[in-house]
Amino acid sequence: MIRIFPLLLCLIVFVGCSKEEAPVTLQLNWKPEPQFGGFYAADYAKHGLNVDVRPGGAGTPTIELLGAGKVPYAVVSADEIPKAREQGIKVVALFAVYQKHPQGVITQSKRGLKSLEDLFKTPGTLAMESGLPYSDFLKNKYGFDKLKIVPSPFGDLSVLRTDDTYAMQCFVTSEPLAAKKDGLDVTTFLIADSGYNPYATVLATTEEYLRANNEQVRLMVEAVAGGWRKYLEDPAATNTLMHGLNPTMDTATFADSAAAQKPLIENDETKQNGIGVMTIERWQTLIDQLKTLKVITTDIMAADCFKPLVP
Amino acid sequence: MIVHDASRQFDNGLLAVDGLSISIPAGQFLALLGPSGCGKSTLLRMIAGLDRPTRGRVDVSAGGVGYVFQDAHLLPWRNVIDNVALPLELARLPANQRDDRAAEALNLVGLSEFGAMYPAQLSGGMRMRVSLARALVGRPNLLLLDEPFAALDEITRQQLDDLLRGLWQRTGMTILFVTHSIQEAAYLADRVIVLSRRPARVMLDHVMAMPSSRDAALRTSAAFAAEARLLFQALERGERL
Amino acid sequence: MNVRRLAYLAWPPLTVFAGVFAMLEVAVRAGWIASFLVPRPSDAIKSLGANFAEIAGAFMATASAALRGFGLSVAVGVVVAVALSSGGLVRRAFYPYAVFFQTVPIIAVAPLLVIWFGFDQGAVIASAFVASVFPVIANTLSGLMSVDAPLVDLFRLYRARPLAALVKLRLPFALPQIFTGLRVAAGLSVIGAIVGEFITGSGLGGLIQVARQQRKIDKVFATLLVTSLLGVAMFAMINAVARLTLRHWHASERTEGA
Repeated sequence: MIRIFPLLLCLIVFVGCSKEEAPVTLQLNWKPEPQFGGFYAADYAKHGLNVDVRPGGAGTPTIELLGAGKVPYAVVSADEIPKAREQGIKVVALFAVYQKHPQGVITQSKRGLKSLEDLFKTPGTLAMESGLPYSDFLKNKYGFDKLKIVPSPFGDLSVLRTDDTYAMQCFVTSEPLAAKKDGLDVTTFLIADSGYNPYATVLATTEEYLRANNEQVRLMVEAVAGGWRKYLEDPAATNTLMHGLNPTMDTATFADSAAAQKPLIENDETKQNGIGVMTIERWQTLIDQLKTLKVITTDIMAADCFKPLVP
Repeated sequence: MIVHDASRQFDNGLLAVDGLSISIPAGQFLALLGPSGCGKSTLLRMIAGLDRPTRGRVDVSAGGVGYVFQDAHLLPWRNVIDNVALPLELARLPANQRDDRAAEALNLVGLSEFGAMYPAQLSGGMRMRVSLARALVGRPNLLLLDEPFAALDEITRQQLDDLLRGLWQRTGMTILFVTHSIQEAAYLADRVIVLSRRPARVMLDHVMAMPSSRDAALRTSAAFAAEARLLFQALERGERL
Repeated sequence: MNVRRLAYLAWPPLTVFAGVFAMLEVAVRAGWIASFLVPRPSDAIKSLGANFAEIAGAFMATASAALRGFGLSVAVGVVVAVALSSGGLVRRAFYPYAVFFQTVPIIAVAPLLVIWFGFDQGAVIASAFVASVFPVIANTLSGLMSVDAPLVDLFRLYRARPLAALVKLRLPFALPQIFTGLRVAAGLSVIGAIVGEFITGSGLGGLIQVARQQRKIDKVFATLLVTSLLGVAMFAMINAVARLTLRHWHASERTEGA
């Protein structure tokens, strides 16, 4: 009699466990912030999915994680995808949060600079991730000879605060708002306004995973789209959740940031064809730009880089 | 040199020496014989000035002290001649005087050709001889030795015993030789003081009845055996206290 | 160091290197290891050749900063250790703060250093210094405090002045321990320099960052190889100086290895 008990226990646990699906990971490439709001707001269970949204940080190698098969879904920047495909990592974009790229350059207002062109003509320091394509784009367009290029401090405003010849890369939904809250008077320039505008905060997977899990991917995209529609309408509850995961940004900034990013997420295209939609023309433009910058050297097909949203 | 009612108690309560009084005339070769840990090294250190008695007094007449430790303790990064010259260097003697005196001291211990060698290249016995030369280089009036030959083999030990006694006879310095070897005490000294176990008290203060020129043959003579037995009995009594 | 001895020391590790190189090459070519995670060793070497001028220039910058940071650590470390060895109260009061240099994660301190020193070599040198000073202090102090008591007595017997005792006894006695500290500090100074360069963007550290962001994994590994060579070179230099300085201390011919 006594011996049956542990056996029964194991059976119950086993049956209980197998009812639940093993969680599927969505790897973010930064800390939980409004740029990921829709991913946290999504009701995955309603679509029969068990999704673990995993925060990232500075330098999270989301492309490599996808390529190594460590995670099935990850957030990447669109301009990472052609290069990854060239190296044999067959990444496919599924959903683009930002229609307008939020990458920008932030600097103290008292410098009186009116545009990015001005910034590159004035001696000073610029902190950015020098290996990324947008950096090559800026170098190509404006030239770096007047500037000292240093690595990005990834959100740390200390040097910006003290040095008035200093500019740094930023996400327009993040650093400018933090600076304002700190009482720092800053000007932000969008890279997109200079002509480089890949999709940003893109949900991606690999061709391999897509082929093996076609139905799940479809449900995933549906859930994410629903999450973003919900978040855009009412971000408050999700912001509270994300603030709990990332206390470095306070609730007021969460709200401001969510509001600031709306015009970058919604445009005429999305109003017609849904949030997250991508077009082959824009992908082709990106590929052409990357070729000019010599980031990629072979012919990558635009159609291979993304899976169109099913309306 | 006089030790007057000296006591030494350490911070941890250990009483190493208790009310010891010894008077040593100049030029004497005195052996302090006692069991391990009885406090004889402590007494020697007090005489050398490396330690002070917690009670009583130690008076040493002027004229420099030489000290030979249980191990040679040479500075391994210096060659032999520089090791020997160390005391003179610390006294800030000019270089040429140092060199001459050091060479002289090395000669006394029979190691003249070894000046340029390093301690790592020498045998145990040779290193002890260098240590002896170092103790002598200052031309001290008082030479203190703390079981210096205990770690050496018998042959070397006897050679060094003879060397020491020869040096004593040539220079006429006062020698205080601490040992736990009855043989050695009997062979070397004019006078032997046997100490009890800790805290050290005098068990026997005996002038040796032996010829002044001594050699290997003496070690096996009947007279030697008799003296040795005397010392042994005193040692035993000291153990049983 | 004669040719025979050099060969004797060099062929075992070089054989291991060649073996690992060959195995990795086969593994990556065959696809057992993904080429975007680890490059083919031959590609890393090719990248080293293709970017030689750039990597060599970065090497000079990093080496200069690491060596200067290391030199500073030696000078400051020995002086501090001597000061700490002078008395129990001084030691108990200040040693815990020296331990701070050991425990603070350099990656947390480096951004502060850049704020103070700017995006220049100064910050990289400071970073190399902070990372490497503690082993020098700890080992030097240990060496100074462990002088044989009879030798201390000897110096007291001859009424040596404290400065004479320091220079003629305690420092020479501490040399083997000091060299141990230097060996550890050398590697740490390279790490400290690289971490500093992650923030300033200069030298080998900056190169690794950019190559990583560009996804040029072959260049990353080429740079890593050069970085480790820097560490090895510094280590070898210290060993050579140690052997030269300490050669009389031990039974000569039988001293084995580094």
